[in-house]
Amino acid sequence: MTPLLEARELHYRHRSDAPEAVAGASVGVRAGEVVGVIGPNAAGKSTLARLCCGLLTPHAGEVLLRGTPLSRLPRRERARRVAFLPQQQPADLTFTAREVALMGRAPHLGLWSLEGPRDRARAAAALAEADAADLADRPVTQLSGGERQRVFLARAFAQDAALLLLDEPTASLDLAHQVLLVNALRRRAREGGGALLVLHDLALAGAACDRLVLMLAGRVLAEGTPAEVLRPEVLSPAYSTQVDVVPDPATGQPLVAPRIAR
Amino acid sequence: MNRSAATRAALAVAVLAPLVVVALAVGLTTGAGAMSLRGALNGVEPDATVLFRLRVPRVLLAAEVGAALSVAGVALQALLRNPLADPFVFGLSGGAAIGTAVVVAASGTSVGAAAMSAASLTGLLPAQLAAVAGAMAAALLVFALGRARGRLEPTRALLVGVVFNSFASAVVLSVEAILKPEQTQAVLLWLSGTLGYEALPLLAGAGVALLVPALVLVALAGRLNLLALGDEGAAALGVDVARTRLLAFFAASAAVGISVAFTGLVGFVGLVVPHAVRLLTGPDHRVVLPASALAGAAFLVLADALSRMLFHGLGAEPPVGAVTAMVGAPLFVALLWSRR
Repeated sequence: MTPLLEARELHYRHRSDAPEAVAGASVGVRAGEVVGVIGPNAAGKSTLARLCCGLLTPHAGEVLLRGTPLSRLPRRERARRVAFLPQQQPADLTFTAREVALMGRAPHLGLWSLEGPRDRARAAAALAEADAADLADRPVTQLSGGERQRVFLARAFAQDAALLLLDEPTASLDLAHQVLLVNALRRRAREGGGALLVLHDLALAGAACDRLVLMLAGRVLAEGTPAEVLRPEVLSPAYSTQVDVVPDPATGQPLVAPRIAR
Repeated sequence: MNRSAATRAALAVAVLAPLVVVALAVGLTTGAGAMSLRGALNGVEPDATVLFRLRVPRVLLAAEVGAALSVAGVALQALLRNPLADPFVFGLSGGAAIGTAVVVAASGTSVGAAAMSAASLTGLLPAQLAAVAGAMAAALLVFALGRARGRLEPTRALLVGVVFNSFASAVVLSVEAILKPEQTQAVLLWLSGTLGYEALPLLAGAGVALLVPALVLVALAGRLNLLALGDEGAAALGVDVARTRLLAFFAASAAVGISVAFTGLVGFVGLVVPHAVRLLTGPDHRVVLPASALAGAAFLVLADALSRMLFHGLGAEPPVGAVTAMVGAPLFVALLWSRR
């Protein structure tokens, strides 16, 4: 089966005089797969995510969505195939949570952008999926950071795209909502969807993802199952920090901890 | 609260339409002179002339301009993502002022006077044409200078617009130094926004011409909502941000340009009506745009009626632009306070 996402040998620099932010990175997501992109700050993770949804155009290389080059898809068709959630959500919106979730339906609406009962049902379901149903009538300005993040996750869910590209989706979420999000992503994967997550929390990355891509300086340094990538001899040089990895006594999943002298 | 945008828009229109009707009734029945409505309808003179030649055209003009400025204000606030944007933010007021002042000054010279009389033959006032040309040129300039790396940057565009308007006032002040006092007064009066008496076919033409930008903006309403997510957020939902901005900019500028041609610079309407409407309807542009058109029409018709009533006390009509600000500002603050 054709992968949901295939990004090949991407190159991108933000300014002509800057070094390449992404320097020949390749990444793919198959249907049913949750893939995590990890790496130190400024490794090119967020830029890679933006290249994969067409917000940025690579200077070289190619992005395919289900086999079709991204550059040949009209904008709205792109938005029906891939939903992107940036790291930071706007806090000054006077729209309610329900209105924000409904914005996810935009690529499905016609000329006058009027949503129908089906769109409103999808938005309501997406709010429930992100545990934000009780926030529906509150303006975004009144929400806490974590609540806002859940509302914007609902917006991404409502988009009904097979591929989700989420940049640091768990950063402002409490533990319960991190678990909830991972479960929602795994459920979507079982139903034939896929996700590419940019993550800093390596333990969560190990628990949530089928595959991990470790980036450094715009390149893919290592790729494989969490057990293959989350090893001290791989992580320590990448993060320039001594890292310990121990198996979780209950599940056997790798737990990652930086070694902090005190 | 869980109503569709179409339902909420229909509700807002249903609430505001009667307000417009009331405003029109007030506008038609108030004025400097006494007029019998029954007499006018039965063709009694001079009542019929007062109603059909003076009041109907003036009330229609006020309604059209009020609606156009309000809709343009909504669009510009959305596309610049700034609540302080008003219809003249892209340097339109400065451009219009320069155009008018220069033409009035030129009319004092022999070449200018000849050009003026030639233009007058076409039935259009050269000062008005110059104002519209100046406004449009300024808008294009500010829009072009407000861009960076191939796209419009709201903060940059706002700053350029503010700076340009200051520059324009300096130019106008310099030009005024060489004008005769009565010319200066004509320029000032016109720049502060006045409603005149236009022929009905011209008003009908303007109404149709204003419908085009209004419909374009209503069609863009959903995308204007998404611009609130930021350029990247909107683009990720399939919006062509640059094209949406450009279309909204041209539609709003066309609406403002047509208004300026008839009435000069009527301030305040396009800034305050959208905000007042948003306090009542929420931020959804699919509701705010049609609601602002109606509220703006009612507001300017009532403000104009008030300025004609003030004739009794003052012996002269204050420009409607002064009335909109004097009445509108306290009203708006009251509305803000009641909604804390």
